[in-house]
Amino acid sequence: MTKILTKHFDSEPKFHELEAYRRLGGYSALKKALGQDRKALQDEVTKSNLRGLGGAGFPTGVKWGTVPPEDKVPGPRYVVVNADESEPGCYKDRILLTRAPHQLIEGLLIAAYVIGAKDTFIFIRGEYQNQYDILEKALAEAKAAGLLGDVTIHLMRGAGAYISGLDTALLETMEGKKAWPRQPPPFPTVAGLMAKPTVVNNVETLSMLPFIINEGAEAFAKIGSPKSGGTVLFSISGSVDKPGLYEFPMGTKLRDVLAACGGPKAGRKLKGVIPGGTSMPPLMEKDLDIELDFDSVRAAGTFLGAGGMIVLDDSMDAVEIAHNIERFLTHESCGQCTPCREGSNWSERILERMLVGHGEQADIDNLARVGDNITGKVICALGDTVGMVLKGYIGRYPEDFKKRVKSS
Amino acid sequence: MTPAAALAVKNAFTPEQEKALVAWTKKYPYTNLGLIEALRSVQDWHRQMTPAAAARVAEIFNLPFSHVWGVATFFPTYTHWKTGEKRVGICRGLTCYLAGSDKMEKCLEKTLGVPKKKATADGKFSWEPMECLGACEQGPALQVNDRLVGKATEESILKLKDMK
Repeated sequence: MTKILTKHFDSEPKFHELEAYRRLGGYSALKKALGQDRKALQDEVTKSNLRGLGGAGFPTGVKWGTVPPEDKVPGPRYVVVNADESEPGCYKDRILLTRAPHQLIEGLLIAAYVIGAKDTFIFIRGEYQNQYDILEKALAEAKAAGLLGDVTIHLMRGAGAYISGLDTALLETMEGKKAWPRQPPPFPTVAGLMAKPTVVNNVETLSMLPFIINEGAEAFAKIGSPKSGGTVLFSISGSVDKPGLYEFPMGTKLRDVLAACGGPKAGRKLKGVIPGGTSMPPLMEKDLDIELDFDSVRAAGTFLGAGGMIVLDDSMDAVEIAHNIERFLTHESCGQCTPCREGSNWSERILERMLVGHGEQADIDNLARVGDNITGKVICALGDTVGMVLKGYIGRYPEDFKKRVKSS
Repeated sequence: MTPAAALAVKNAFTPEQEKALVAWTKKYPYTNLGLIEALRSVQDWHRQMTPAAAARVAEIFNLPFSHVWGVATFFPTYTHWKTGEKRVGICRGLTCYLAGSDKMEKCLEKTLGVPKKKATADGKFSWEPMECLGACEQGPALQVNDRLVGKATEESILKLKDMK
């Protein structure tokens, strides 16, 4: 099985150290990239079909291409690493930061060179203090070895808000403000940190760059499916025998992923698979032969997200699951848009009422209605999710919801 | 501002802490980029946010008090209640919930002898449910002071009490 990011994880326990990372070819891609034509490097990344692996799946090279050229917009430009992983089900970045900090730093330095950024930032969630320490040490190693050149990598911690993981809210947080998402346009590549052109990329996305530069765009694209190049990490949990981090080529069948991690658990029937974190409605039994990549999962009515896969089995109840997710979203709604601030809270309370045995048929209709009044009517994806989750679970598991309705 | 309130702002921090806060204003290319980290330091020192501390931070960053207090009350890391020296978090994200985080919340309450978001009498511990801690494969995940401990079990929770 082709692996890119986790290739050396089993064989090299010290992959997080500079010596081991370099011994296995680390920082050779940076050396190769420096001095090359920047536009050619960007085209190479575009050709590789690398997609944003933080959840949105936007083509990375295309995103870089929207940064205005220096002669049109002079002044600083920034690269920000989004290491604010907080979506329930997702923990791939935690393991990448723990096991392969230099892989990220090398990718970041390549991106900084292409963009022309001198100041770069790694914004890491505050709860990853262990990983912060590892990054600090790796940065000191890289600096002492003269690998950073004239680039500065700043570390910055978040303060516990899920919404800070959304690019524009992340920039607001960095600027010392409440994490209220911005309404694009302008997009961050045009006006990002302190209104300067800023590329925000996820940990996993940047970690792919050394391979692409070393092996070439074609080799990377060939591993994946036609429109999503390379591999993808799944952090798997829930009803599985072997929870953990798995790396698969883009386009691997859901059936094969489940076989590898042993899900659902023995004696249990599959209820569904949340593909990318709890914001994404589940894939169902009928979707087992879907080739997992951004576009095919989207065609199945949900999203690949950030690979936070949660396997659900028949011992779990859809109303309880929906309630847990809506409770989370209510807690994490930033409060900027009224439909989300109020609607997430209403849906949580309606679901709670259903859980304690006071559900009515009107509740199910109201949940769908509240959802419709949020999705598409708010600034950011968190609000969209409030409605998507409600409709997603009611639509997929109508029996579970009907069971919670009092017979009059 | 009353004289007492003014004094509270003036004395919010020790000289060393003042120095550390000023250092945050200079750490990044723009002053305000240090605010979230500066407030993290305040939370570490005081184990809570107070208007007096936020007012002094506002002076140091040359920002309106309303701005700093808005930020200090927005993020879950900052608390209006005083946490224990060991701030214990139990994850209640979906996987951890399905793995029994509710039971582990009860276990924490029993073992530490305090309800959530209330420090023990000696100030050593407090616990609270937290949103996804990014450790779903070890759910229900347990953390102390922003560091992952691992899976929450009756044994791992009992062991918390031996932490120095």
